Amino acid sequence: MSQAVLALPVSQPAIDRERLTAFGFALPSFLILSLVFVLPLALLLGVSVIGPEGPTLANYRRLFGTAYYLGVIWNSLRLGLLTTILTLAVSYPAAFALVRARGGVRSLLLATLFLPLAASVIVKAFAWTILLRSDGVVNQALMALGIIEDPIRMIFTETALIVGSVNIFLPFMILPIYAVVAQLDARLSEAAATLGASPLVAFARVIVPLTLPGVIAGVALVFSLSVSAYVVPTLLIGERYPTLATTIAKAYLLAREPGFGAAAGVVLLAIAIFVVALSTQLGREPASR
Amino acid sequence: MSEPGASHLVVRGVSKRFGATTVLDRVDLTIRRGELVTLLGPSGCGKTTLLRAIAGLAQPDHGQVELAGRDITMVPPHRRNVGVVFQSYALFPHLTVAGNVAFGLKVRGRPKAEIEAAVERALSLVKLGHLGKRRISALSGGQQQRVALARAIAVEPDVLLFDEALSALDRKLREEMQVELRRLLQDVRATAIFVTHDQDEALTMSDRVAVMNRGRIEQLAEPRELYARPASLFALNFVGLSTRIGGTVIGSQDGKVEVDTPVGRLSAIGSFQTGASVVVAARPEHLRPGETAGANAVSGRVRSVVFQGSRTLVEVDAGAGESLLAELSGRDAAMPRVDEQIRLAWPIAETFAFAAEARA
Repeated sequence: MSQAVLALPVSQPAIDRERLTAFGFALPSFLILSLVFVLPLALLLGVSVIGPEGPTLANYRRLFGTAYYLGVIWNSLRLGLLTTILTLAVSYPAAFALVRARGGVRSLLLATLFLPLAASVIVKAFAWTILLRSDGVVNQALMALGIIEDPIRMIFTETALIVGSVNIFLPFMILPIYAVVAQLDARLSEAAATLGASPLVAFARVIVPLTLPGVIAGVALVFSLSVSAYVVPTLLIGERYPTLATTIAKAYLLAREPGFGAAAGVVLLAIAIFVVALSTQLGREPASR
Repeated sequence: MSEPGASHLVVRGVSKRFGATTVLDRVDLTIRRGELVTLLGPSGCGKTTLLRAIAGLAQPDHGQVELAGRDITMVPPHRRNVGVVFQSYALFPHLTVAGNVAFGLKVRGRPKAEIEAAVERALSLVKLGHLGKRRISALSGGQQQRVALARAIAVEPDVLLFDEALSALDRKLREEMQVELRRLLQDVRATAIFVTHDQDEALTMSDRVAVMNRGRIEQLAEPRELYARPASLFALNFVGLSTRIGGTVIGSQDGKVEVDTPVGRLSAIGSFQTGASVVVAARPEHLRPGETAGANAVSGRVRSVVFQGSRTLVEVDAGAGESLLAELSGRDAAMPRVDEQIRLAWPIAETFAFAAEARA
């Protein structure tokens, strides 16, 4: 048998043609990304730590040393976390429903998921302001039905922010989960059942671990998108809810403090990278239990 | 627990329809404890649905299923204590080999030490004791098959169900597994049902074979009897080779019929009214070159001679679109040659007549 052989590390030939080819294919994207991504980020990092009198951490001290800016960081985190948790709660069952749906219904549901991606996030955020403002569609409908007498304040509340954010980022959660759920072998649930697992146990021990990669991809996408969202908080809640993204914009456009804006940008990027790296690590953990 | 030999699994009048199609049509089946039974039939005959009804994965429209003295018709699969080996194996890709085998015991909440011992025992039974820590994706098809078997055996189910479990293996490995699996199941005194469309698998593995056709069991018999005394034209066709010649009954007495066929008059075992359309059939090993008194005999021209090692198949064109199939062993003197004129004879006692309208 070849089991012993397989366990040994495969010795590498001096010139590995396959690796060379793979490197060749990766080269164009590597060059483009270095040019438009790595280089600006390096500049950003540089601007954030270099003041008029040489190297300084003053920008970071201001961010982490002021209650107001700690609140700003918390606002961003809160927006990212709430959006991610709620989108996940909606998307997980929705992905299963999508897979169960047949033919035309499935195409229709997928189209309703994909089409909003074609519309700009500004359009979608504006649509929510139209729905939610005092004389908006929702308030008028509720008043016409006699459920409320006076308009409820909906726009510029945290609820509006989270509802809009969940709606806008939903496809980025559903699609990766849908992709793994569609790959699930229906026989696995049956095998679990015949081995004595109740539907709930089978779900927890088989379905959840096998769909985890999709969940992790969705969480990484939605969290990094929502934690850094600019248009959504600006239009749906505004000044009352400053986030890192709106702070960056203000620092560059109004206060003319590029160093401080850059520092806020670096912090925001660090948060997003941390969450993406953490979730990737969770997904890689071998589940042998 | 019932004593060995007592009826262990009873299927009573089970029917199942999918839309307008009747997949199972009032099926009855009784299996004794420790018995290995095969459900044999073409795709769409209902064999897999019957297996799924026993496992609880398909709910019958009518009828009952009893296992180990308990009516399990309405019991969900996870409370039935059955073991299923799926065609695709359905191993859990996120668990190791040992994790897969331990799954059934873990969800039953067995103590850790007991689980470890049971996993070790099951894996050594299928000769995979050294691979417990492997990932499923690192195994060959044959090894995955063994893991699926070990996983099903580990929970000590009341009945083991195999859904085309060997069909994904290549021919040589499949034949080895057939013999090995039968020995293993006899060693652990398992009651098992195999679903297959492979007649060799059915004959090799089972104590009894149920030939299924259009949602019904046409014949339930030991492999030897099934081959030697098929109950219907369908069973005859599905298991083994045969010569089949259509004709009309012209006389009948003492359980024998005289049949007028395009190749002459033949006698066969069977009871039919005069004028009935029948098919006269015989197994190839009973056909011998030459003439024998009191036997059926037909002349023809040799169309093909196919050497298959221990046996040689000779096809003879008897004219009128009918052909004969004879199996000669190496010991038979003077193999006929293609285009040679030959006369083949076979005993009346090995000639059967079946109603022609049942032709499948």
